[in-house]
Amino acid sequence: MIKKFTIAAIAMAFLTVSIGVSMAGEKGNARKGKYLFRKNCRTCHLEGGSAKELSPVSKTQAEWQKVFDNIDQLACKDEWAKLSEKDNLDIYAHLYGHAFDSPSPAKCK
Amino acid sequence: MSERINNLITRRKFLQLSGVLAATTAVTNPCRVLYALTKDSGEKSASQIREVFSACDMCFNKCGLIAQVENNVVKKLDPNPKSLKSRGMLCARGNAGVKQLYDPDRLKYPLLRKGARGDGKWQRLSWDQALDHAAEQLDKIGKEYTRCGFLFMAGTDMQSTFVHQFAEAYGSYNVISHESNCLLSRNRAFLDTYGVMPTPDVLNCKYVIMPGSNRFEALVTPDSMDLMTAKENKSKLVVLDPRFTKTATLADEWYPIKPGTDMAFFLAVAHVIIKEELYDKTFIKNKTFGFEELREHVKQYTPQWAAKETDIPAKDILRIAREIAAAAPSAMIYPGRRSSDYEDSTQIRRSYAIVNALLGNWDQKGGLLVPKKVKPGSMHIEAPFYEDNPDDRVDAGRAQMMFDEEGSFKHTRDAVIEGKPYPIKGWMTYKTNPMQTGANRNKTIKMINTLDFMMTVDIAMSDTAWMADLVLPAPSYLERQDPLSAFLASSTCSGVITRDPVVPALFESKPVFWIVKELAKRLDLGEFFNFTVDDFRKAQLKKIPEVAKALKEDGVYNITGPSFGIHKGKPFKTRSKKIEFFNTRYKDKGIDPMPVYKPPLVIPENHFRIVVGRNAYVTQSASTNNSLLWELAKENTLWLHPKSANTLGIKNGETVRVSSSAGNVTIKTRVTKETRPDTVYMDTGFGVLSKGLTNIFGKGACIAEILEDKADKISGNMAMHETFVRISKT
Repeated sequence: MIKKFTIAAIAMAFLTVSIGVSMAGEKGNARKGKYLFRKNCRTCHLEGGSAKELSPVSKTQAEWQKVFDNIDQLACKDEWAKLSEKDNLDIYAHLYGHAFDSPSPAKCK
Repeated sequence: MSERINNLITRRKFLQLSGVLAATTAVTNPCRVLYALTKDSGEKSASQIREVFSACDMCFNKCGLIAQVENNVVKKLDPNPKSLKSRGMLCARGNAGVKQLYDPDRLKYPLLRKGARGDGKWQRLSWDQALDHAAEQLDKIGKEYTRCGFLFMAGTDMQSTFVHQFAEAYGSYNVISHESNCLLSRNRAFLDTYGVMPTPDVLNCKYVIMPGSNRFEALVTPDSMDLMTAKENKSKLVVLDPRFTKTATLADEWYPIKPGTDMAFFLAVAHVIIKEELYDKTFIKNKTFGFEELREHVKQYTPQWAAKETDIPAKDILRIAREIAAAAPSAMIYPGRRSSDYEDSTQIRRSYAIVNALLGNWDQKGGLLVPKKVKPGSMHIEAPFYEDNPDDRVDAGRAQMMFDEEGSFKHTRDAVIEGKPYPIKGWMTYKTNPMQTGANRNKTIKMINTLDFMMTVDIAMSDTAWMADLVLPAPSYLERQDPLSAFLASSTCSGVITRDPVVPALFESKPVFWIVKELAKRLDLGEFFNFTVDDFRKAQLKKIPEVAKALKEDGVYNITGPSFGIHKGKPFKTRSKKIEFFNTRYKDKGIDPMPVYKPPLVIPENHFRIVVGRNAYVTQSASTNNSLLWELAKENTLWLHPKSANTLGIKNGETVRVSSSAGNVTIKTRVTKETRPDTVYMDTGFGVLSKGLTNIFGKGACIAEILEDKADKISGNMAMHETFVRISKT
């Protein structure tokens, strides 16, 4: 029973990762994404800002995935609409690639 | 105007003035040089002593101290009894800090190389000339090779953050730290198991297995003191080390394990714990991921099998596994610090992490902790983006899972030499000395010789500074204002520390903050440095006034209260949100998801494996030239077992040649049973090229000259125990 559960858990983990990798595989530029995140998102999402402070380590990779899968449901969806698809990918590469549970969590927020 | 560094006029003047400085009387008596070099503070009474808080910088530990200052002269450094991290103590190196401040070998003003690199011919520059030249080179290289064509490397220092900030504003993401020559594979392993790098609660631990670490010499506060206290409280210490270190001397049991086989030992310990069900079943069920896979995986790794690999008897492996499991959860495999040893050093540390998880010691008294940490505020910069920059770091893709913000010195150096994937032609180093600490010194020289420009900011003429084109003098830690540093220590002793100038800066030395700010101005990047260190610190302290108060009153802020039992119910920062015996990310990347033992290469006939280590008097190369410490360790020697010496016909104290594919050195032997017959050792930090280090120039041998530069496949950490050397008579 424990074995079945473990195998199922591993399979779920693989699935989660493969979704993330497929988007990451579109080769967003994380360096550019860091710049774009600061320029476009940190204006509000900072300490004392009008929205909750955010940095890559604010969420897990799965949580960032969920955010990017549902951008049209964000309160700031109109701001996102102004960004190009490439900018979107770049910001994703930065946030997903340096998430809380990523292999290289962001040190510098 | 060119002149040799060892004949500098000011140095002569300095020495004339400092006749008494060479003697230890500087600590107790007024001495002319100090009066000559320091500004009058208006303290007229010679007997009036000021006490000033600071934090030691003789190694990375930042122990709290109180400087005794008279007439702007530091007379003595005392431990700060309020500093819980350093348990109110200061080691030999800490006491010798005063000699870093009053060191005649200190860099005094900017120097520009004249003649070939490493020839030691220099021209004195004014600061304006030096900064104009550096800015011109930064601008030129940035335009010709993109901003990523300039590499930055900063050591462990409270002002290194400003070097990183400058690199970001300038536009280069080729920034490396010293850490890839030290501990990244350990961090990688624990992060990939626990989602965090935990801190060992040595103080309360009842059973410690210490593989390779030498905590009674390679000091880490508070672990070194806590280990002593724990032993007084009847804790058991088992040391695995091919050398009979001071830590081994004080251990309950020492096993001269065959180098490179630690993983075999721990897989066998895991085998016993699982087979005999010596683990906490509830903990394993609730907190860990992949236990069934681990159970299957370690079936093959019996104590009998491990005995053949490790040279440790099977009955002892079995007994130790049972003993440590019985002592759990106040029991641990000590994670250690420097893990730059083998090509599978991450997987070796994964085996430590896995056994710790089997002991259920997470967040437990005497186990592995993540103490509370103060989060100081920060000052963000909105760095520009340079569209012509390449997509990634120059060393990207050379290791399987490199830390993005650390990089790898080994792989960066290779990339610079190859010029691939793009050229790097400039290098700035600050308070780090890869010429001594990075394996294969000849390759570092080769790298430097491919550069158009190299600048070094340091206190003394290190070997790295010696190879640079522009050398800029920095003040010691006793002469500058630093930002806050929040640290995680162990039980009840995490906290915050900072530094203010204890005395005014000597000579023309300038802190690196000032240097990068001046460079930024010259590069039209001044807007990113329109603040002072004081502003930076105020931003850090904005929401933590209690820290500001404590720093003022006590020189340190300590977090009180227990550090264990504070993470109950919290998920781990891993994919599975549990401790990962089985790492799915590794599997995705084609990396063994659990550590698979691969025996180390067999030592060829007539060869020895050379290993790296520390003694308590030196911080690698940073303090070997310190006049007080040099009295304790004047040169390094080659540790050679009597059997091996006898076979080679070599006597104790005889000068021998040690050679590898990387290079060769000559060094005196220390024939001793304190190392295995197949293993040799020498201290780091000697055999310098720099004639600006007058105490140690011409003394001993440089281990970086003979270490081959292998790397841990996963993290890119240097692998410094993979070198086989030949030893011959000279």
